[in-house]
Amino acid sequence: SRRKRARARHKPCALKELEVTVSELGLGYESDETVLFRYCSGTCEAAVRSYDLSLKSMRSKRKIKKEKVRARPCCRPLAYDDDVSFLDAYNRYYTVNELSAKECGCV
Amino acid sequence: DEILRSLAGSPSAGGQDPHGWRAPVDCVRANELCAAEPSCSSRYRTLRQCLAGRDRNTMLANKECQAALEVLQESPLYDCRCKRGMKKELQCLQIYWSIHLGLTEGEEFYEASPYEPVTSRLSDIFRLASIFSGMDPAANSKSNHCLDAAKACNLNDNCKRLRSGYISTCSKEISATEHCSRRKCHKALRQFFDRVPSEYTYRLLFCSCRDQACAERRRQTIVPSCSYEDKEKPNCLELRNTCRTDHLCRSRLADFHTNCQASFQSLTSCPGDNYQACLGSYAGLIGFDMTPNYVDASTTSITISPWCSCKGSGNMEEECEKFLRDFTENPCLRNAIQAFGNGTDVNLSPKNPSAPLTLPPRTEKSPVLPDDINDSNTMYDTSIITTCTSIQEHGQKLNKSKEQSLCYSETQLTTDIMPEQKTFVDPKAGGSRHWAGQILPTVPILLLVLVL
Repeated sequence: SRRKRARARHKPCALKELEVTVSELGLGYESDETVLFRYCSGTCEAAVRSYDLSLKSMRSKRKIKKEKVRARPCCRPLAYDDDVSFLDAYNRYYTVNELSAKECGCV
Repeated sequence: DEILRSLAGSPSAGGQDPHGWRAPVDCVRANELCAAEPSCSSRYRTLRQCLAGRDRNTMLANKECQAALEVLQESPLYDCRCKRGMKKELQCLQIYWSIHLGLTEGEEFYEASPYEPVTSRLSDIFRLASIFSGMDPAANSKSNHCLDAAKACNLNDNCKRLRSGYISTCSKEISATEHCSRRKCHKALRQFFDRVPSEYTYRLLFCSCRDQACAERRRQTIVPSCSYEDKEKPNCLELRNTCRTDHLCRSRLADFHTNCQASFQSLTSCPGDNYQACLGSYAGLIGFDMTPNYVDASTTSITISPWCSCKGSGNMEEECEKFLRDFTENPCLRNAIQAFGNGTDVNLSPKNPSAPLTLPPRTEKSPVLPDDINDSNTMYDTSIITTCTSIQEHGQKLNKSKEQSLCYSETQLTTDIMPEQKTFVDPKAGGSRHWAGQILPTVPILLLVLVL
């Protein structure tokens, strides 16, 4: 099972989805309405560029010390889904934009 | 007659169905066919000029106009219909009314629907609804059906997009004085009800409720603060007149009157016992001046009304009340909504099909209503679901479990409601019926059974 978990962790960056209630989103809305939350998950090993390698090298040679840098590509949404509207527990409608990912990529 | 036959015979006219009935032609197509025929097109042009800016009587005083109308009654334009949500729907309806405004007496209480009769049944939608409920087994015991409907919609990209579309449009504040753009809100609602399949939209609109939170959610479905309520309540007959100046609103209202008019000739109070047609015409009114909604969040009684009252009716009080009652106290509409909420369709008993139909025919003067057509010849097939026999056999067992199942007749259903009263008002419309492959003369049985 450990091997399985390891393999799962090394899946390439892709779109995944989860059914959650609006309350569970943690945005402060109170609603039992269920929405589809799509997110990006996976690794970006294949997307490592010369930039990342060089940045890593600069950091290890202590040419970059104080700044926070990220020397690895990162699995993030490239585009977001359309707006999501819902009715809350107090019968008010709300619309949330850029809630859910539509397309993922290593950036 | 010559024109009719030559046009009907043309292969592109929709052709003939295997049973020899001409398939109905939509008015856009009929207009094209007419344009290709010099005699038809010149008469049609004449008629349109006759009708422009004149009332029916002045028009008919003109001999040329009268002659044009008579010739066109023989053309495919005369009995062409439109489809809801079709491409060029407005154009189709303009063509339809350009002829029919000349044919009707004018200020009629009920007008015939320009839309094709609905042949699909609620059962088709229930089948899909049952797939949804199967999705989520916890949903049946103690749940809010309206919340489940919202969930089903949110999990479907198309439904979610168009629902969010109208909600955000209808709840967007324009300025301190203008609460929202009603025009844009109505448009977004029309898109939602036209483009999202009815198994999603009906579930949101007609969900059954046991508590007030659910019923309030149901009432809120169309964002009534923007789409429904207004500062003032106009008189219902005034509202009807406003609606009738618009081809689309007029058509939807005529369709509602055709399909939801309480009928004492059927078991369900609905024309042709067709709940689906009534619910469809109801939903078709949303996003127009005549937008109907639930008046409150009551769980026990369902009251529907457009945003109008009969105050200030003067001597038209009676007519106004009659108009309003078709919404507020309409047994067909109420039965249809409740049947959808409960997951039950019409249970037509085959043994005694004429019993409820021995009443004298409707005395009220009515135009060529598709419900007459329905009565004359109703054949529909229902989809088959395999749970039927198992429910019959193990009914008791299933009754105890809280599982909700739908049962469909294993056979294709045939109901010949009124054989002795075949009117054939419009034989061509019969061609739109879907003929069952085989007709079983004896056993049309239960459509579906709800096991709770």
